[in-house]
Parts: sequence; structure tokens; C-alpha cells
Amino acid sequence: MASKNWSVSQDGLPASGSVSSVLLRDPVNPVESQEFPPELARLPPGRHGLPREFVAHNQRERLIAGLAEAVAENGYAGTTIADITRHAAVSRRTFYEHFSSKDECFVAAYDTVMNELRERVGDAFEQEEEWPQAVRAGIAAMLEFLTTEPHLARLSMVEALVAGPVVIERYDAAIQSLVPFFQAGREGRPKKVLAALSPTTEEALVGGMVSLISRRIFADRTEELEALLPDLVEFTLTPYLGSTEAAKVARS
Amino acid sequence: MASRFTARPVPGGQQLPREFIAQHQRARIVAALAREISEKGYRAVTVADIVKRAGIARNTFYDNFGSKEDCFLAAQQYAMSTALEQVVDAAGTFESWPQRVRAGLTAFLGYVVAEPHLARTCMVEALSAGPAAVRYYEESQQTFVSLFKLGRDVSPHGPELPETLEEAIVGGVFWILYQRLVVSEPDSIEGLLPELVEFALTPYLGAEKAREVATAPDPSPAPQA
Repeated sequence: MASKNWSVSQDGLPASGSVSSVLLRDPVNPVESQEFPPELARLPPGRHGLPREFVAHNQRERLIAGLAEAVAENGYAGTTIADITRHAAVSRRTFYEHFSSKDECFVAAYDTVMNELRERVGDAFEQEEEWPQAVRAGIAAMLEFLTTEPHLARLSMVEALVAGPVVIERYDAAIQSLVPFFQAGREGRPKKVLAALSPTTEEALVGGMVSLISRRIFADRTEELEALLPDLVEFTLTPYLGSTEAAKVARS
Repeated sequence: MASRFTARPVPGGQQLPREFIAQHQRARIVAALAREISEKGYRAVTVADIVKRAGIARNTFYDNFGSKEDCFLAAQQYAMSTALEQVVDAAGTFESWPQRVRAGLTAFLGYVVAEPHLARTCMVEALSAGPAAVRYYEESQQTFVSLFKLGRDVSPHGPELPETLEEAIVGGVFWILYQRLVVSEPDSIEGLLPELVEFALTPYLGAEKAREVATAPDPSPAPQA
């Protein structure tokens, strides 16, 4: 159980910062092989003087991180609430103070991961002046995130599909939310190019891109993701720039 | 129907009709599963639901399938092999590759519209139905991929095309159909044909030629050599 305490900082106090900073610790290499006795994974017992909301908030974050760990270990279907509370080092009762079910906890974890991913992709995209470079930067940011967080990649792209209709709906919405990044590429294109684009072009591009990515995650070949960058860039830019120009940006 | 079995003596007594009944039952159970899944999602469906929808005894279900997973795999294999057969047949009536793509996609969309529940089962739910279902899903996608790969021979920049292009095209087409099936708009699917043909052909032929093929009036098959 080396990974048990990766959500806990060195002094045994809860890691500061957002859920994402908790979730985004590398679950494979927990805090550089430092082992913590389980009791340090808990908040100091008794009168620790921490404000009530802080404790509550922190427990929620731990539960979310606990779920991510448990799912990485057992898959969503094989994860029980007991697994989650064990990883989070909180009581069963605490779990039910925050979530009414495993599904609900998964939704919270899923939203956390997707918010982080969205933010990274958005930031990378915004930083570029030219649209083709922005697309490239956005895709690169997505691939980088998924590569460095293989467990979260699996949670968001594979386990999400077995986590019930509520998550599937969010999964669909998350993928469709990438459409506007590509639609922005229509701006300023010559009439001839615009005439060749159909209303579903962006949806198909996004679907194709996600399919390439998620198939590799499904097959536990997450390490191959970053090598997909040039192909994905060329694929998504071709309808707007033509294949020659798209290939140039892709291989730049 | 019954006359087929009563018209001639059946060797070994019951054997033939029993086989027929069994096949019929399987098809009925599979159809019931697909409908239940469309309504509730794979995970929530129970064998009891399937049995009830199919109007059969629980024992009959277990005579045919070992489990819900087993039944799902049968549904998936039945649907995918039927769809692929129709695609290959349709594509085979044309000589030129772009026309083959158009005909194949036409047949595929036709299948999805005719069997929305089974199609949904294969495209939407397969990924949540365990490793065997996922593997089968992957393999059937691969068949489409190899059909598209032939386009490299007719493309002026065939050799330079990215290696994963076909995978992305198939994924894109599936995604669009998946979206329509999820929001239960199977009727809108056939209208997507020109857009999907264009999407699939553009990387090989360029936007203009792709559009020509996509929007041309229904082509008649070339005489077979």
C-alpha cells in the first residue's frame, strides 16, 4: 500500500490547496517513496483547533482522492465505499455526510478531474495568438495531462463509461465542450473553405480525436499518448487549412 | 412457418424444431436486452428485466445464455456482423473507392436507423459491458479502419497521411452516430450521410472532390467486371 498517503503532506497535515492539487499527486510514486504510518494520514485527533468548514472541506477532498486511488486499484465496479474510506482514512459515517452513494462520489471526482483538464487546455489555447498554434497547444496540454496522470486518465475516459448514466451525460458534455475550440477556426477562412465545412465537422473531429486517445487509455497504453500529437493536429486542422498546411503546423 | 417442420419427417424426432425454437428465442432475448439497455443503461439491467421484456421463463434465459454479459456479447456480435455484412455488400457493388465509401456509409446508417436499439447497444453500451465487449468493439472498428485504408491508394498524398487517420475517421463517424443515438434521434441519422461522406473523404481527396462525391445524386452501381 505504498500509495496510501500520497494525499498527505510531509508533516502529516492535510495537503493544502485545491482538490486538484490533492488528486494530481502522482499515485504511482507517492511523495517519492516516503512511507507514512496510517495514523499520520488522519487529521490530528481531538482539539486540533481547525475550523469546522475546513475540516469538512478537507474530508470531501480526501474522499475524492480516496476514490481515485481505489478506482485505480480495483476499477469502478470493484470499488466499495469501504475501499474509498480506507484510502481517505475517514470513517464510513463521514463518507455519508458528504455523499449519498459511491456514484455521487465518483461524479464529484469526475468533475474535479475534468475541471482541471478544461482549465489546462483553455490556458494553453489562450496563450497562442494564431488559431492553428492554439489548437496544437491545447491538444498538447491535454495529452500531457493524461500522460502524467494515467490513473486520472483512466478514471475520466474509461471508468466514467461504467459509472452510470449521470456520469455518461457529463462525459458526453465534456467532449462536446471541445467543439468551440475548433469552431473558432472558421473565423476568417475563405468562402471556399467555409462552404466545404458541414455543421457536424467539429463534432466529428472531436469524436475522432477522443476516440484515438481513449482507445489507448483503454488498452493501458497511456505512454503512447504524447506521440499522437502530430497526427491529431494534422487531422483536426486539415478541414480548415488543407492537408499541406495542416501537416506543416503538425510537424513544426 | 410451422409447415416447414411438418411437411417432411424430421429425423431424430424433435431436433430440428427445437433448434429453430432455440434460435428464435435467442433472437427474442437479444432484442429484449437491447431495448432494456436503451432505457436503463447496461449496468442497471437485470436478467429479470430481460426475461420480463422477452416474455419468457427465467430458465429459458439460462438455457440460452450463462449470464447478462454473455447475452450482451451475443447481441453485440449479432448486430456488428450483420451491419458489417451489409456495409461490405453495399461497398462491393462499386468499383471506385470514393463510391464504395459512400455506399458503405449509406448501408451502415441504414442499419443504425433500422435497428436503433441494437446499434446503441453496440456503440454506446459496449464500452461499459466488460473487457470482452470492449475487445469485440475494438475489433469491429478495426474492420472499418481497413476499409478506409484503401483510400490511400487513390489519394495524391496517400503516403504522407498520418498513420492514425483512419482510426480518427471511424471514431469521428461513430461519435456523431453515438450522439444521435444517445439523444434518441435515429430519424435524423440518414440526413447526415452527405456530411459524413465528406468528412471521411476530405483527407484523401481534398474538400472539393469530397463534396462532389458526397452531394452527387444517388449513383448507380458500376457493372461488375
